[in-house]
Amino acid sequence: MELLILGVKVFVLFNIIMGLSSFCTWFERKGSALIQNRIGANRAGAYFTTSIAPLRPAFFVVRWLGILGVINTLLCDAVKALLKEDFVPEGTSTVMHALGPLLAVLPVFVAFAAIPMAPAFTIGGVTILPQVAPIDSGLLFILAMGSLAVYGVAMAGWTGNNKFSLLGGLRAAAQMVSYELAMGLCFVTAVVIFQTLDPYQMVRQQAGSIFNWGIFSQPLGFFILFIVGMAETKRGPFDLPESESELVAGYFTEYSGMKFLIFWLGEFAEIGLFSLLLAILFFGGWEIPFITLPEGLWWAALVGHGVLMGKVIALSMLQIIIRWTLPRFRFDQLMSLGWKVLLPLSMVNLMITAAVRLVIAQG
Amino acid sequence: MSVTIAILSVCMLISAVSVVAARSPIVSALALVGNLITVAAFYAAMNAHFLAAVQILVYAGAIVVLVLFVLMLLNVKGEAGKKSDFILRVGAAIIAGFFLLTVVPIWDGWLGLSNLSAPEGTVRAIGKLVYTDYVYCFEVASILILIAVVGAVTLGRRARIPNIASE
Repeated sequence: MELLILGVKVFVLFNIIMGLSSFCTWFERKGSALIQNRIGANRAGAYFTTSIAPLRPAFFVVRWLGILGVINTLLCDAVKALLKEDFVPEGTSTVMHALGPLLAVLPVFVAFAAIPMAPAFTIGGVTILPQVAPIDSGLLFILAMGSLAVYGVAMAGWTGNNKFSLLGGLRAAAQMVSYELAMGLCFVTAVVIFQTLDPYQMVRQQAGSIFNWGIFSQPLGFFILFIVGMAETKRGPFDLPESESELVAGYFTEYSGMKFLIFWLGEFAEIGLFSLLLAILFFGGWEIPFITLPEGLWWAALVGHGVLMGKVIALSMLQIIIRWTLPRFRFDQLMSLGWKVLLPLSMVNLMITAAVRLVIAQG
Repeated sequence: MSVTIAILSVCMLISAVSVVAARSPIVSALALVGNLITVAAFYAAMNAHFLAAVQILVYAGAIVVLVLFVLMLLNVKGEAGKKSDFILRVGAAIIAGFFLLTVVPIWDGWLGLSNLSAPEGTVRAIGKLVYTDYVYCFEVASILILIAVVGAVTLGRRARIPNIASE
């Protein structure tokens, strides 16, 4: 029975990840079109009409999905990638080449396991915690998995067997390792505030008034973690590892077809992961301000999950909009931002937070 | 529980052997990562979740990344076909023997170590211990790390000073 519940949890979590990534893929394509004054992906399925009356509603839905670009970005692109030639460059082993996208995606997916997706609920006498791995030091686990994601891009860059790929991989590794420090310090600050490493307890403490939300006690922490998140996902103004004007496509230059798409899946899953973390640490997770959902009911859990996903989608959209708005940094600017601005800022933030916390605890 | 330990042990031995046996240094470094992760899984199986997370974060996520970084930057592919020296093999065998000598007493309980019970692995318990009973050890360790950081910065600067002087 326990194994069955765990299996269902993993299945649901996997679908949540894929759903989030699909949404990000779609919004990346359609949102970028809106930002750049293009009409964008709107052709596949756009002329899907029929003269048979009973089928019209279904065709109407499909047509609008096509006009909004959903069929183009989610269905056609995936089918196209599956049918493409799987190219492996000369001089590298096929296994090592395939290891790159695998190692880039796996840690991100595993990190999702420690994140609670909704409040606990009881159904048929069984209490279910919507979290695949309720680990005592959940935040640390997420940080550890995040640090493993470096291997995927580094391997991809190396197995590309050319200088552009290698440079992209090295840039990605340097960038991710540098920004991890500020990310860790932001997590420590959140731990000082909430006095726990368990994301579930953190959300619980932000219930009630909107001023219980982490963003009101940690505005600087949110700012730093948001920037670090954009750098860790190698996006936005920080997409130097794949800057096409210098490095062709960086570390995934030599990847084609589905392997190429898997890198993008990992990237979009990372956006979802960071948005989830930001929502849980700073925006109260599934808690609605001034409204208390009844404890332990399945529909309350469902509403909570919807609220959490709403916050996550808003944060993901913000990240994608910033990506399509700001120009790219130079690499030395990126490094000095990470080491000379964000790291000292997060240290100062931690010290001030700890001092205030101590004063509150003493008096 | 014992099944988990058995599977993990097999993974750990395979990865440990391939660290030594792999011809390509990159494969060797990746096998080391695999080995560190299985060690972390061991800790997690013993309910030491904090230790498991820190093991991955520090060793797999930071130290070996730098090793791999250097290996890729130098692109040490030429070494792949070379056979190792006889003297290195003898040295490795001697070190492995010494390691075995330290492991056997623990295994057989000669030192009484097998009677030790592991303290609670939660972050709260470890934090309390580190900042109360072992605070001096903790401070000494942090001073050691500080010395290492200062040393790294000094070594990094020394390379740059002649350049500035020559300009």
